[in-house]
Formats: sequence, C-alpha cells, structure tokens
Amino acid sequence: MDNDLNLTQHISRRYNAELEELRSDVMAMGGLVEKQLADGLIALSTSDTEIAELVATSDYKVNSMEVAIDEKCNQILARRQPAASDLRLVVAIIKTITDLERIGDEAEKLGQLSVQLADKSVTSSQFAELRHLGDHVKTMLNNALDAFARMDVADALRTIEADKQVNDEFESIMRQLITRMMEDPREIKNALRVSWCARALERIGDHASNICEYVIYLVKGKDIRHISVDKMREELV
Amino acid sequence: MKSESEHQQQTQADTSHQSENKAADIQQEVGATIGQPFVKQPKMQARHVDVFYGEKQAIYDVSLDLGKNEVVALIGPSGCGKSTFLRCMNRMNDTIPICRVSGMITLDDEDIYAEDMDPVLLRARVGMVFQKPNPFPKSIYDNVAYGARLHGLAFNKAELDEIVITSLQKAGLFDEVRDRLHEPGTGLSGGQQQRLCIARTIAVSPEVILMDEPASALDPIATAIIEELIDELRQNYTIAIVTHSMQQAARVSQRTAYFHLGKLVEIGATNQIFTNPLHELTENYITGRFG
Amino acid sequence: MNNTELIKKGLAKRYRREKRFRAYGLMAILAGFIFLFVLVTDIVIKATPAFTQHWIKLEVNFNPEILDVGKKAGIDELKQANYNLLAKKSIRSLFPEVKKRRDKSKLAAMLSSSAEYQLRDMLLAEPYLLGQQQTVWVLADDDVDTYYKTDDKSKAVRLNDKQKIWADTLAADGRVSKRLNTTLFTNGDSREPEQAGIRGAATGSFYTILVTLLLSFPLGVAAAIYLEEFAPRNRWVDLIEVNINNLAAVPSIVFGLLGLAVFINYFGLPRSAPLVGGLVLTLMTLPTIIIASRSAIKAVPPSIRQAALGIGASRTQTVFQHVLPLAMPGILTGTIIGLAQALGETAPLLMIGMVAFIVDIPHGFLDSATVLPVQIYLWADSPERAFVAKTSAAILVLLLFLVVMNGLAVLLRKKFERRW
Repeated sequence: MDNDLNLTQHISRRYNAELEELRSDVMAMGGLVEKQLADGLIALSTSDTEIAELVATSDYKVNSMEVAIDEKCNQILARRQPAASDLRLVVAIIKTITDLERIGDEAEKLGQLSVQLADKSVTSSQFAELRHLGDHVKTMLNNALDAFARMDVADALRTIEADKQVNDEFESIMRQLITRMMEDPREIKNALRVSWCARALERIGDHASNICEYVIYLVKGKDIRHISVDKMREELV
Repeated sequence: MKSESEHQQQTQADTSHQSENKAADIQQEVGATIGQPFVKQPKMQARHVDVFYGEKQAIYDVSLDLGKNEVVALIGPSGCGKSTFLRCMNRMNDTIPICRVSGMITLDDEDIYAEDMDPVLLRARVGMVFQKPNPFPKSIYDNVAYGARLHGLAFNKAELDEIVITSLQKAGLFDEVRDRLHEPGTGLSGGQQQRLCIARTIAVSPEVILMDEPASALDPIATAIIEELIDELRQNYTIAIVTHSMQQAARVSQRTAYFHLGKLVEIGATNQIFTNPLHELTENYITGRFG
Repeated sequence: MNNTELIKKGLAKRYRREKRFRAYGLMAILAGFIFLFVLVTDIVIKATPAFTQHWIKLEVNFNPEILDVGKKAGIDELKQANYNLLAKKSIRSLFPEVKKRRDKSKLAAMLSSSAEYQLRDMLLAEPYLLGQQQTVWVLADDDVDTYYKTDDKSKAVRLNDKQKIWADTLAADGRVSKRLNTTLFTNGDSREPEQAGIRGAATGSFYTILVTLLLSFPLGVAAAIYLEEFAPRNRWVDLIEVNINNLAAVPSIVFGLLGLAVFINYFGLPRSAPLVGGLVLTLMTLPTIIIASRSAIKAVPPSIRQAALGIGASRTQTVFQHVLPLAMPGILTGTIIGLAQALGETAPLLMIGMVAFIVDIPHGFLDSATVLPVQIYLWADSPERAFVAKTSAAILVLLLFLVVMNGLAVLLRKKFERRW
C-alpha cells in the first residue's frame, strides 16, 4: 500500500463516485482559493482597488463551497461509515476545507488591506519584500494542493519544510517594520497595515503546511502534527 | 431487454473471472501474519493451528493470543475460517468426525488438545454463545440453571437460585424477567433470548467466552444492548467474538483479527485496524473494496 | 409488447391451471372420503345384527327323572345329569303335537347347544330348584337367530318350513326376546356362531402387541439414537442403513417364515404363542420405528445440540436431556403407527400357527392364542350365515382399536410437542 490510494475499487460504484466527487470538489475549492490569493497579491502589488474589492467580496464563494463539502462529508460519514483509508480521506478533507476557508479569509483580508494601502505612499522596497513573501506562499499553497491531488508524501514534506522559510521571511519583514516605526512614528499606521498583510501571508503558509500534514495522514495513516520536520522524515522514511 | 440481460450476464462472468484471478494472486501474497498477534498477559494461546476437514485445509498456520480481559474480534469474508477457528478454541469441532486440528492451543498454559484434557471440562471453562439464540425449550430458570446442575455447581436450591439470579443480572436480563422466571425461555424476544443464552453460559463461570456472530439475528437496539453487555463482561472474562459487522467489531473489541481464506492476515489494535490497516487485504475488506 | 402485457396474457392461463389443480385435489379427497364412507357403512350395516341375540323363554321342570338323578342328588351327581334331555323336553313341551322323531330333533335344534350348559350352571348354583318348575330364557340357535333378524323370511334357507312355523309361533306367544349380545365380548371362538366371541382373539392381540411394544420400542429407539448420534460415518454404517430401509419393504409373510424357522424350529418356542407372534411382529415393526425415530431425531435443530455441548454437556447427556425429549413426539407417533400396522397384520402370524381354532382365552404369553385379524380371517372363511355379521363386528372392533391407537398417537404428540 504505497502512495496509491485506490478510490475506485469499492463494491459500491456510487460510493466510488461520491468519494471522487468529494475530491474534485476539494480541488475546485483549492483552485478558487488559489485564485483569491493570486488576486489579492496582484491588488497589493498594483494597488488596483477594483481587483482588491473583487477579492474582498468573493470570499462568500469559498465559504459556500466549504459548507457544501462539509455537508457531503457528513452524508458519507452517516451513510457509508467509512473505515481505514476512506475514513482518513473524509477526515482529511473536512480538515483541509477548514484550512482552505481560512486561507480564503486571509486572502479577503489582503484585499481589504490593499484597498486601504492603495492611496498611501508605501515604499516599493516594502512591497518587494511582501511580494516575495506572497510568491513564496502562493507556491506553497500550489504545492500543497498538488500534493493533495496526487497524494504525494514527498511533495507534502517539502512543502512543510518550505514553511520555515516563509516564517523566516515574515520575521525579517517584521524586524524591518519595527525599525521603520521606531525611526519615524508617522509611518506606524502604514507599517502596521503592511505587517498585517505579512501576517496574513504567513498564516496562509501555515494553513498550506497543515494541508500537507493532512495529506501525509491520509496516505500514511500517521499523525505528524506538532513534531519537528526531521522527526517526520525519520518516521516516514 | 434481452440484450440487457445478456450484458448483465457478461459483467457477472467478468467479475467472477476477476475474483478468481484475485484469489490466485492472494494465495501467493499471503505469507505470515502482520500486526501484533501476541500479548503480554495471554489467557489463551494458539500456535501454528491448522484445521482440516477431510482432505480440505480450512485453517493455515494461525497463531494468536487472547489476552486477559480483552475482547478480540475475528472478522473476514464468509468461509474465511474465523468460525472454524473459534470452534477450535473449545473443541466444538470434535463433534465433526472429519475435522482434524493440528498445532497447539493452550488455556492458561494447558494444552487443550492434550490427552488428559476433558472436552466437557474445557467447554465449562470456555463457554460459547451461538449465532442463533438457542435457548432450550424449558423455563428461563431451567435454562440458566442447566449448566450449574450439569456440573454440580450448586449444592442446594438456594445456591442454585443465587447462581441463576446473578447470571441473569450479569447478562442484564434479570429486571426484564424477574416476574416470569418459570415461563418458557423461547417466549422471550430475540435479543432477550440471546442474553438468556449468555446468562446460561455465564452461569457455569467460564474463563473465556466465545461468541459466534451473537448479534447477527438481532435488531439494532438488541444488538446495542448485547454490545454493551460484551463490554461489561470484559471486566471478568476473556472474549473472542466472530462478527460479520465491521462496525460491531470496531465498537466492541480491543483487538481485531482479519482472516482471509483460512489465513490470519492481520491482527492488531482495533483502533489501528479500522483507521490504518497494514495489509491491503484488510484495507480492502473493511472499506468494502473488491478483493 | 412490454412485460406487463406479456405477464397479463399468461396470467389467466396460470390461474386456470391453479384452479384446475385445486379441483383435482378436492376430487381426490372426496373420492377417498366416499370410499371410506361406503366401506364403513357397509361394515356397520353388516355388523349390526351381530350385536344382538335372540333368546327363547322355556318352562323348565327340573324333574329328577328326566335328569336321571336321585331326588336328593348331591352336587357331584347333578354334574353328571342329563341336561341335554331336559332342554329338549322343555321345548317339546311347548309343541306337544310334534310326534315324529325327525321333527322332534329339528325342534330341539332350534335351541343353542349352550342351553344345556346354561341349565346345568343354573341348577348347580341353586340345587334346591331340583323338582321345581322354572321359567328360563335360553339362547336360540344361530339359524333361528338369523331367521328372526332376516326381513325376507324366504331367504332363511337353513330352517325348514316346520321350523319356520314353530319359530313364528314362539314369537307370537311372546316367548322370544332380542337382547344385547354380550357373548361376543365375553367368549372365545366357537363352531356355533351364537356362542362365538372375540375375547380370545382380543386378548391374544393384546399380549402379542404388548410383546411387540416392549421389544421394538426400546430396540428401535436405541438403534435410531446410535445411528443418528453416535455411529461413525463409514461403509458399514451405510450398509446397515440401506438394509434397515430395505427391511421395511420386505413382505410380512417372509417375517412369518423367519419366525417359524428361527423361533419355533430352532429355539423350540411353542406354536401359536403370543410371545412368538410378538417376536415376529417386532421384527416387522423395528424398521418402521427406526426410520421414524431417526427422522424425528434428525428434525431436532442442531442449535439445541450445540447449545448443550457448548455448556459442557457430554454427548450422551445432550442426547438424553435435549434431543430425545424433543424427538419424542415423532418417535411415539412412528411407534404407534408401527404397532397399529402390527395389530392389523395377519400373514406372518399364519406361518407360526396363530391361525389355529382356539376356544380358550389365553392367560399368558405362552398360551395358544389367535389375534383379531386372524379371527376375522377365520370367521370370514366359515360357512354359517351368522358368521357374516360376526366378521363385520370383529372388523369394527379391530377398527376401533386402530382408531384408539391413532388417537393416542395424536394425543401423545400434542402433549409432548408443547414446545412452549
């Protein structure tokens, strides 16, 4: 039993279809969240208020998808009483969509903040830092969703490791902002907004890393939350 | 219409063909048991048990322990040998002339197939509850008292009453039948009959209780009551239960053993078996996949 | 055409077939009932005359001269007296005009030959009657009896014209009375129909069936239990099973020959004895009981056996405490049906001499005896017309026995079948 999670071998064909549908729903939701994040980042870097508004108002789509998938999971739990890998799949999906929804929330926050930041004069260097962090997080989310789609443990582990880098970048942005705020108290308001953006991006990185943990749980049946990456490797290899 | 039925036949033929191939594969695949067949405090131990019905081998080299105060569930598809194995544990298979058991099964380190082990005594120590509730066509009282009378466990009426009442209480039936102890046991509902059978088994004070699909003929409520009872009985007895309901195995047992084509494929903690089984066959069986 | 229409088309035909089949069944049952009804009615009608007897009133003068004894004769002397003449004189006194010797003997023949014994018993019981005149009812001869019972008087060919006139005169004088025939139930067989009874045969049947029951029931049940519960499955047991089934189909007369050869010729048991009859019938009944018992034992649900074994009962305890009580109704039914069959059996008993003419009522298993069906066979073979009715009466009694036994079977089955 390797990475090959076999969802199409059930005696009940309807069950196969239900699980398949659930998975594709999650992928669709992931796609939507990715797009929200990308739009948020564009709004931030281009100060395009239109896109920013769009991001801020589109979060309901993500929310409603979460509710719909949640409902489907409940149905499967109640009617199919899944066990083993099926059970892990459903549990992983329930958790994944929570994290995806949070990512959606954070993207919405980005949108709102970029509207506020649009008319303010913010130095491009800070934006560059933010953009760098944003790209990084976007890649992480992308990889996390890929890992989920392919049930790829190695990819998932790599993504979890990448979160460390995101955290480091977040730390460095924060240090810069603190320095700036101490230098010029008038900058505090903007600096705080930028820090909130950085914070949102950092949170998205955490959520993406959570999703990867669920993928590992789903495939390997091992709960590797709250342990160090090195230990994870040890256990999984 | 005709073409459709033909098509159906075709698919059926295909699937059966497929499953035949599968079976052939599995024969080679299944090697030694995966998981934790042994425990620290074993009550019964089975080592390298083979069972033959005439020329046909029904059980292949099964080794496992039943620990003290634990419920072990034996699951697996029909004809996988789980019931046969259960019946080896109290030598119920002795009644089948063509049945032959090799290997070793011990109860508290005594070989139960040894020359000097009396099967009658063994069955008093290792009781059995059957799939179909099978109370004797006697009164409730006589049903429970039967074993005690048989083995001479009570020396007077008061002692016998005591045994009957405690057994019924342990089986959670006493309150329901308090006023009709001398009415026929066959007049009870299916679930009550099964609890009566459990009370009848407990009355002999066995050390191990073997249950062969004890709830398969009962409705969900009666099943739930029996399951609750099994959980309570665990305090005092070692229990092995054969069941077709995987949910039931998941609910009542501490360890689960998966049998496939006469072999013990996997055995381990129920928690692990039902969330993360190690063997693909186990996985396929408990998730309802082809295999 | 869709399925509904297809099904509808065939529906009427299917229902018709069902109705037709039900009608056949009903007709079969009806035919059976009619046959049974005709048979029983015929037997009952034929048997009715046998249950009554005609008695003739005589004025008997216990004259010592006629009796050829002294006036103060003792019991021993009275035993030797000539009661035959007394009876003859008594009837002649009613018809003083009859003078011819031939007619006189014809007249005397109208009384049963039992009349003289009746008179003797009377006098021996009350010796003071000697020399006195007494009114006595004596049994009429079977031909006279038949004459009274026949509506078409011309058909009573066994009486000559004079006898017919005398009989009519007696009836006109009120000297004839019709009474319940107790002789039938109290006497053994006799050449004289009016004195013949079935008590001997019934007692013989009783002893024979008792022997059969005492031997075949325990043997049969034990064999059935062994074969069902304990016997290993091998070629020998299969052979025994096949042979038991075949034995049930062996013609009963073969058992009779066997009995003759083994029990009488080899073991030297007495002929015509209920013991030998019982032994032969046991051989015949055993397969029936074994087969019925085996199927009854087989019908006990295996779950009961498992339950008992699972608690720690031994094989024997399981069988005797659980299987046997549950199988009992079936075993009893099979046994009673087997015994009923044995009760009605004639052929094997012919071979061992139970067909002999036996007047005495048997008092034990070794006395010579006959049985009811053989008695029926004997009577049916007798030329006297009165035996026709007797035969039917005996058949009725035999049927009654069988009905009672079957009733017993039903009763026992009901009683033991209480499964609670």
